Amino acid sequence: MQRFLDPTVLAGISGLDLVARTVVDGFISGLHRSPDFGFSQEFAEYRSYNPGDDLRHVDWNVFARSEKMYLKRYRGETNCQLTILLDASRSMRYTSHKIDKLEYARYLTASLAYLASLQRDATGLTVFDDDVTQFVPPSTKQGQLARILHAVEKAEPGNRTDYAKPFAHLREFLHRRGLIVCISDFWQNPEEVIKTIAPLRFHGNEVVLFHLLDPEEIRPRLKQPALMEDLETGDTIEVSPDYVNKEYPAKIDAHLAALKSEAQGNGLDYFLVDTSRPLDAALREYLAIRTGRM
Amino acid sequence: MGFLAPWFLAGLAAVGIPVWVHLLKRHKTDPKLFPSLMFFEQREQSSVKHRKLDYLLLFALRAAMLILLALLFANPFIRRSIGASDGKKITVVAVDRSFSMRAGSRLQQAKDEALKVLGGLKPGDQAQVIALAGNVQALTQVVNDPAQLRAAVVAIQPSDSRASFGELARYLRTLADSQKLPLDVHLASDLQKSAMPPGFADLRVNPGTTLFFHPVGDPAPNWAVENVVAPRRVYDPKRVKLQATVASYGILDSKAAPVKKTVTLVLNGRTLQTKTVDVPANGRGQVEFLGLDAPYGFSKGEVRIDGGDALPGDDRYLFSVERADPRKVLFVDDGRHPRAELYFRDALDSAGDGAFTLESQRPESAAAATLSVYPFIVLNDLGNVPPALDSALQNYVRNGGSVLVALGPAAAVLPRVPILDEAIQTTDYAGREGDRFLSVIDVDTGHPALRSVDRFTGVKFYQTIRVNPTKSKVLAKMNDQTPLVMERSIGEGKVIAFASTFDNVSNDLPIHASWVPFVTQTAMYLGGGGAEQPVNLPVDSYVELRATDSANKGGSGAAAEVLDADGKRMLSLEESVKATNFQLDREGYFEIKTAAGRRSLIAAHADRRESDLAQIPKETLDLWKGTGSVEPQGGPGAGQLSENEKPFPLWPYILLLLLGVAVAESLVADRYLRPSVQEREPVTREAA
Repeated sequence: MQRFLDPTVLAGISGLDLVARTVVDGFISGLHRSPDFGFSQEFAEYRSYNPGDDLRHVDWNVFARSEKMYLKRYRGETNCQLTILLDASRSMRYTSHKIDKLEYARYLTASLAYLASLQRDATGLTVFDDDVTQFVPPSTKQGQLARILHAVEKAEPGNRTDYAKPFAHLREFLHRRGLIVCISDFWQNPEEVIKTIAPLRFHGNEVVLFHLLDPEEIRPRLKQPALMEDLETGDTIEVSPDYVNKEYPAKIDAHLAALKSEAQGNGLDYFLVDTSRPLDAALREYLAIRTGRM
Repeated sequence: MGFLAPWFLAGLAAVGIPVWVHLLKRHKTDPKLFPSLMFFEQREQSSVKHRKLDYLLLFALRAAMLILLALLFANPFIRRSIGASDGKKITVVAVDRSFSMRAGSRLQQAKDEALKVLGGLKPGDQAQVIALAGNVQALTQVVNDPAQLRAAVVAIQPSDSRASFGELARYLRTLADSQKLPLDVHLASDLQKSAMPPGFADLRVNPGTTLFFHPVGDPAPNWAVENVVAPRRVYDPKRVKLQATVASYGILDSKAAPVKKTVTLVLNGRTLQTKTVDVPANGRGQVEFLGLDAPYGFSKGEVRIDGGDALPGDDRYLFSVERADPRKVLFVDDGRHPRAELYFRDALDSAGDGAFTLESQRPESAAAATLSVYPFIVLNDLGNVPPALDSALQNYVRNGGSVLVALGPAAAVLPRVPILDEAIQTTDYAGREGDRFLSVIDVDTGHPALRSVDRFTGVKFYQTIRVNPTKSKVLAKMNDQTPLVMERSIGEGKVIAFASTFDNVSNDLPIHASWVPFVTQTAMYLGGGGAEQPVNLPVDSYVELRATDSANKGGSGAAAEVLDADGKRMLSLEESVKATNFQLDREGYFEIKTAAGRRSLIAAHADRRESDLAQIPKETLDLWKGTGSVEPQGGPGAGQLSENEKPFPLWPYILLLLLGVAVAESLVADRYLRPSVQEREPVTREAA
């Protein structure tokens, strides 16, 4: 089933709902063997009763046997609200292999939305570049998944990335705490990115940053001097292979480290996704965080 | 240090190419899209700078390659003294003994000069004496024995050969190369201008060779019998015409009145005719003698002018003639083509000298005839060659006889061409209507038999016999590539095949102007009528004694013979059976009997270029001298080399260095252009 998580295989499947089902169903069926992960409504642990606790959760069977009061806790006893922020700027169009970053982001979004719908979580979507281009408010209504998938399908590369406006827009609609997943290539100053995104955390939201990068963006290959053109601005620069081989890796590594450091420093979860890798790593990350949110 | 070809240093400008490639060239390529240039824009300038620094070694190697290449073409050299360490050198004393040195006491003066030079040598000095004539003759080895050297000079005798300074220069170059020592060359000569080689470069001597000229004699007016045109054979003495050309040389006043010269025709020591001719200053006059009353056999003739000039040796010109009866040519015919014999006979009779008469026989009777009495035999389209005749003809040709074979409809039935022994393939016909005929497109006009046939222009061939020539040489070809005339040498003799007939049925050759020249020249070529080698030859010419291929195969063992003017045999026993030619080394009459048995009397005369006693201008002599002290191709950067200096070329070292730099450049360039390990392996970056 692992091969269905390969983005290049998924590219051959038409329809995001089918992609999402293929990914998630296959992924979950693999997870059943793992003791580390569970789902809502599953037993999680016992906890000693403390005054003030709701007596409805006391396990009276245990009290009858041991005369001690324990509370039985379940995971996912409350529904989570998942809000996905999908960057559809022009830089997401870049790829060095079969599918570009935006396509990968679509699969990831669809998979996350489907996974959330299985858990009956309210799911919403915001597609943005320098402005919000599409917005699906979080909901658990029937047909929400279809609406999200439709919006994801319609997401096309737009202009350059600007986090300020979309995130300000998001804050207006974010009344209930939940999980916010931001999928982007984050080609901006890490401090500015985190400075813009971090306020979402203040309302008790869990914020996860999925940093999508193509392998060529991390380690570009250049055999001879070339004229590089910025996908978003159209600027051009002549670059030598020597620079690309020696100095660029150091810079991108520093950038990634800074982004990770800034994110973690502000209580955001950060996850670097290589678009040439299967989707399961990203899904695992999501589930790990989702489990922790219980 | 200098450069032999300094203009090639202009190639150093090519060093600008790597400068442009490495530093100035903007790499204009199609833009490569990238999500963000946020990590590039800050480092654009520094990346160029970085490239400059990184490629500095490659740039240096490439520039060095171009510099070395330019230097290689400029051919640098350094001056290196030769023989200066021990001061050794060789003195070469060259004495001209050519024909012109017979004028007055020139040879004696030259010998005196040579002895004077030898007298100036210090004890232990090495020297060599050489004599200069047609070729250079080393009279001694390089020795330090003055007595031996002086004896060699005293023994020098005049020759009838022509001097050649080109040969002298070639000898000096060889000597300098072999001895590896500087040469002091003393040339005692009349320094004739006519002894100069055609190209001045042939006079070049090696650096370190110093020429000293010892001119003898003065330019003086001279008259000479320059040329005599006489027939080789005389069949009718009254019809003989003999032309003599008298030339004058060295007359300072070119407008001087013509000089009357008395020209005498002498045959076998008997004066036959005397005439007077006006010879203009530095010009020529011609005199013609009609009739030559020569006895049967070979006669020794000469044309003389009255003497009284500087060089009496060229006042006579030797020639030889042979008085003979017309010789019979055997025409073997089976009677099918009566017109062929008619046309052939008429063509032979119309030749001016009447050297041949035709005798016709049937094949059966010809087989019984003594074939060796015929100079050549014609086989006219025989459909059947009797075995006896075939065998007799084979022997006849091997022993030096010649056969002309005509092929026609009758011969087409034969599997092979008689005597020529080539396969007959087919018969090609062409209709008489329209343009359906064959013509000749390719003729070896240099061949004696086809020299004046005017390429058989306009001759139409309606039928030819296609022969596959495997051993024969094709002399003429039809436009369909059918060989028309073929020749093959067998033993000492030769066979010519004509792939058509001699009547005007298969072709219209007999009624064309080229017919008579074809028949007469072929007859002379095959019958030895004088076309093969002239009887008047200049000294130093070679006379053929036997065919080269027969000598290579060991020949038939028949001996050749050469008797000089005094009746002495010139060949040793071994030479008489092996030598293919003989050099005429002096004036006089030489009786030659070739291996094929042909006898001839050849008159050798001195080369008439020796008659012009004009001397080489001093400027030319200075230039010649300069070839030994100044590098010949020296440009502005070459500079002057002293006599003891020799240019030592540096190009081999530069070439080696260039190869080394080229290899280093390849390695360095490969290192720069090879993709890095990171580029070759997929990026395996895990999430932080």
